[in-house]
Amino acid sequence: MSGLVRPDLTEKLRGGVVYGTDLEAPGMLWGALVLAPPGVGRIHSVDLSEARARPGVVAIGAADVPRLVGGGPGDAERPPFPTETILYASQPVAAVAAPTLAEARAAARLVRLRAEASTAVTDLERVFPEWPGSGAGNSPSVAAHVRARHGDVDAALARASTVVRETYRTAGIHQVALEPHACLADGGPGAWRVRTSTQSPFGVREDVASILGIPESTLTVEGTWVGGGFGGKGASLLEPYALLLAAASGKPVRLALTYREEFLLGRSTLPAVIRFETGVAQGRIVARRVRLLLDVGASLPGRDFATGYSIGFLLGPYDTPAFEVEGYAVRTHKPPFGPHRAPFAPQCAFAVESHLDEVARVAGLDPVTFRADHLWTTGASTPLGQTVGAFGLPAALDAARRKAREWRATMPPGRGIGIGLGFWSTGTGAGGEVRLALGPRELVVVQGEREIGSGSVLVGVAEVAAHRSGLPRGRVRVEYRSTARAPFDSGVFGSRTTAVLGRAVEEAVGGLLSELARRCGVAGTARLVEEGDELAVEVDGRRRPVRELLTAAERDGEGVVAEGKFYGAGGAIDERRVEVGAFYGYSDFTGAAHVAQVDVDRATGAVRVERYAAFHDAGTVVDRPTATAQVEGGVVMGLGTALTEEAIWTDDGRLANPGLLDYRIPTLAEVPPIEVEFLEGFLGSGPRGAKGLGEPPIVPVPATIAAAVRDACGAHLTELPLSPERVARALKLV
Amino acid sequence: MTAEPASFRVNGRSVALDDVPGAERLLDTLRWRAGLKGTKEGCRTGDCGACTVLVDGRPTLSCLTLSHEAEGSAIVTVEGIEDDPVGRHVVAAFRDTAAVQCGYCTPGFVVALTGLFKERGAATPVPTLLDDLGGNLCRCTGYAAIARAVAAARERLR
Repeated sequence: MSGLVRPDLTEKLRGGVVYGTDLEAPGMLWGALVLAPPGVGRIHSVDLSEARARPGVVAIGAADVPRLVGGGPGDAERPPFPTETILYASQPVAAVAAPTLAEARAAARLVRLRAEASTAVTDLERVFPEWPGSGAGNSPSVAAHVRARHGDVDAALARASTVVRETYRTAGIHQVALEPHACLADGGPGAWRVRTSTQSPFGVREDVASILGIPESTLTVEGTWVGGGFGGKGASLLEPYALLLAAASGKPVRLALTYREEFLLGRSTLPAVIRFETGVAQGRIVARRVRLLLDVGASLPGRDFATGYSIGFLLGPYDTPAFEVEGYAVRTHKPPFGPHRAPFAPQCAFAVESHLDEVARVAGLDPVTFRADHLWTTGASTPLGQTVGAFGLPAALDAARRKAREWRATMPPGRGIGIGLGFWSTGTGAGGEVRLALGPRELVVVQGEREIGSGSVLVGVAEVAAHRSGLPRGRVRVEYRSTARAPFDSGVFGSRTTAVLGRAVEEAVGGLLSELARRCGVAGTARLVEEGDELAVEVDGRRRPVRELLTAAERDGEGVVAEGKFYGAGGAIDERRVEVGAFYGYSDFTGAAHVAQVDVDRATGAVRVERYAAFHDAGTVVDRPTATAQVEGGVVMGLGTALTEEAIWTDDGRLANPGLLDYRIPTLAEVPPIEVEFLEGFLGSGPRGAKGLGEPPIVPVPATIAAAVRDACGAHLTELPLSPERVARALKLV
Repeated sequence: MTAEPASFRVNGRSVALDDVPGAERLLDTLRWRAGLKGTKEGCRTGDCGACTVLVDGRPTLSCLTLSHEAEGSAIVTVEGIEDDPVGRHVVAAFRDTAAVQCGYCTPGFVVALTGLFKERGAATPVPTLLDDLGGNLCRCTGYAAIARAVAAARERLR
């Protein structure tokens, strides 16, 4: 590998790239948010007078919003500041800005909130101690209710020789991008600008415009380099406040979260309770009943997408002739649920895999063989009635079983080996567009996604353009531009960049090559080649320098321009099986089988992962080193979900561990060696059959570790994370 | 809060400031007064390592160091790390192994590893180095590429 592989390496190693936290502007003010304390509800007043009395301080609250941006009314359902009732501890109730950060923080402490005491409910099992009864769908505590079914579940369960009922619980987790949210707003009415660390500049523009009631055309969002996203930087968070403060002060305003605030008001996956009832007869699953209570915090009713999407992952990836699935998105006094790398899928895979392991054992069957016997294959039908596309998970499982046998033969005594499966849909999400500019020496891909670290933009998109055009990757440059200057793109999330934006790139390059052939007077296909220091077009075995094919205007401007767009779509499900709410079809079926070897400390319950292997169907691998790095990173993030990461809320509504000391993510001192292998040939909808890879690597990890722990010591754990305390309890050590 | 003059050498150049508050952290002085933003601000509580700089050759968390504590010291940040013969090899090793994704933890890792080699020598076994880097967090790479960079840097220095 060399610096060419990652064009951002050199500058990042020099500390030379500008992240959101590095933003500053001449004459800027520093902003700070005023966060509501836990245990308050209805607002009496927010008194800003003391803060405003400080020299140089600007302070704003709900009452100031309408006059500040001068647009129409903003989205009434999600005002920047609550007007009547505080929905969760740490909800911003006011914002201040001052010439220094110290002055801003001091002023924030002078804002007086008067509000009624209110009992915070942060435990979703207190909202619904029993399964919600009929009519719960209309409860103000329910943000969404979904139900689907197929076949006669009760009759099938009655016939089953084995029925296993289990309940699983999963914890709230944080993304923990190392860079906290940060942005800087400036400009004025009609020409606002927000520079921000985001996965989706266009998404932020849409969000901010909607929240503040201003036309999107009056706002430019410019993405900075991003110090980690993982879903946490997909939607707007600080940008509306920064813009309001800039409007109030007439100066540029920088606003950043402290790391503590990052924990307190970032949006991520919240706790869940999952119940299963599975019946088996003659070694086959005959029916499954699945129920989900998903904590969605202060999510708005009717706007929850997570439940209907995530719940599908509790049904797969296994054949199930009869099923019933029902889920409730339950509102609590926490920040709203937000996406976290493959939102809620690792938790689903943990529950499904651990449960089917238990079902097999109760039925006297081998757990891995049992799963293999039911695993979807290409062309199978999902419980929701969608046809499974090219699916490499069975092949990945075969490879994982071989690896497990190999390790078992050399495993020291007392250790355990587990296999976990996970599937995910990639290639969906809204679309993307690109513009190409071919000059005499390079092909430039102009687009609106910021590289967030995975390499999907600077390597993935560049490699697709290089391969399609015929050029070496060093001749392709991917250029980021702001929302004012780039074609639309929905952002870096959902494992979509290489797969979806890559298709737009393929289309654009195809159009460019046709245009070049036409300029050469040939109707055939051209390709680009290097000739000396410059580029040439090769068509019908003849070469013409690109420079010769450019008009004078093109030589002075961007070069020959071509455009491409691609809007992916999810597959169709059988809507007759949906009774309540919305369920979603998948685009590419992407899967992975993982293997772990663990050692469990029989005195403390601590789990040490000794080695790990990941077998992935990612369709055609576009760039192997970058793909491998995605899997390594996803696996280790998943080890945190599996073993240590747990947001803890107290009964009085406080987040008890808003810091990296008490919310433990994996460190270099404890990660295992990881082997990565790709099973190719199961083609997706991306360029040359690629599938997305950003999210899938995290999905099977908690399931894999749980299976290995059970193999090592017999402990069957039904709650994430598998902390030493939980393992010790399962082993009856405490 | 009283502000007093502070002076140190940063990346070989003298930096003299006349009004550094007593409670100001070295991280903020470097980033906002000296304009050296390569040193990253992560947690500000000493848990993530992104702000690591060398103070008189020792890896130091600049978020937990008062600027006045560093009075008269020689400080090296990521911007100056390639001027150091050890640092140059560490950077090259990170580049060769592409041990960078979002890059936010990278300056801290590069500086911390350079300091470890300078303190302990290039013969330090890789597992010891990895253990000692346990205070530098990375959320992107899973540390796999970083572990490869550590081994590659050690090879270069031997």
